[in-house]
Amino acid sequence: MPDDIAVTVRLFASLRDAAGAGRIALRLPAATPVGAVWSHLPEGVRVLGLPDGLRYAVNHEWSVPGAPLRDGDEVALVLPVSGG
Amino acid sequence: MIALRDTPLDSAALLGAVADPEHGGTALFVGTTRREAGAREVVELRYEAYEELALGELRAIAAEAERAYAARVAVEHRVGAVGVGEPSVAVAASAGHRPAAFAACRYVIDELKARAPIWKQAVRADGTATWVDGCAAGDHRHDHPETTGSHAHGG
Repeated sequence: MPDDIAVTVRLFASLRDAAGAGRIALRLPAATPVGAVWSHLPEGVRVLGLPDGLRYAVNHEWSVPGAPLRDGDEVALVLPVSGG
Repeated sequence: MIALRDTPLDSAALLGAVADPEHGGTALFVGTTRREAGAREVVELRYEAYEELALGELRAIAAEAERAYAARVAVEHRVGAVGVGEPSVAVAASAGHRPAAFAACRYVIDELKARAPIWKQAVRADGTATWVDGCAAGDHRHDHPETTGSHAHGG
């Protein structure tokens, strides 16, 4: 598919555990919105259900679910935080 | 001085980083891992960060505090395993007088806990390891006591 884009998904904490990896490479249709990445994740992650309060970052900056992805983007799924 | 590190935090270095001959007050906050003695006693916390964004967020939070309180701020957070009783986070803030120093220090630790993409997993004496439920953005209240709830919070 010439219009496909390559996207890297970063996962942390319980999502990383569920995926068995902190980075997943996906090929997605061009301009896929950030918030649609979840539905392309492996079954082992999706079985958890979309987490409450999930936020997104693209290329290390906060983003929003409706933002369109471009080829080479790195998307991070950011669970509610628990540092400190 | 803003960093994530997998080695013990050095409070003296943080205090040195905010030293300023025009600043008469310095506040230091150190968050340590709690044991939560009992059947589910915690033996260590394991911290994981989305490092690129966590550093960006810590820099932004420190800049906000420095601007709001005319302060100098240093903050460091551990990643990896942190044993019970060890510091997991430290914030130093200096300002002209103590009210601004305390306020800047409080602002940084509160915002860090609400905004920095860092997660912790509690490892308990029975061998279980569980991710601590976090706060969603906008959930946090600056006035909630740290001791409520059953989470194994450091900080």
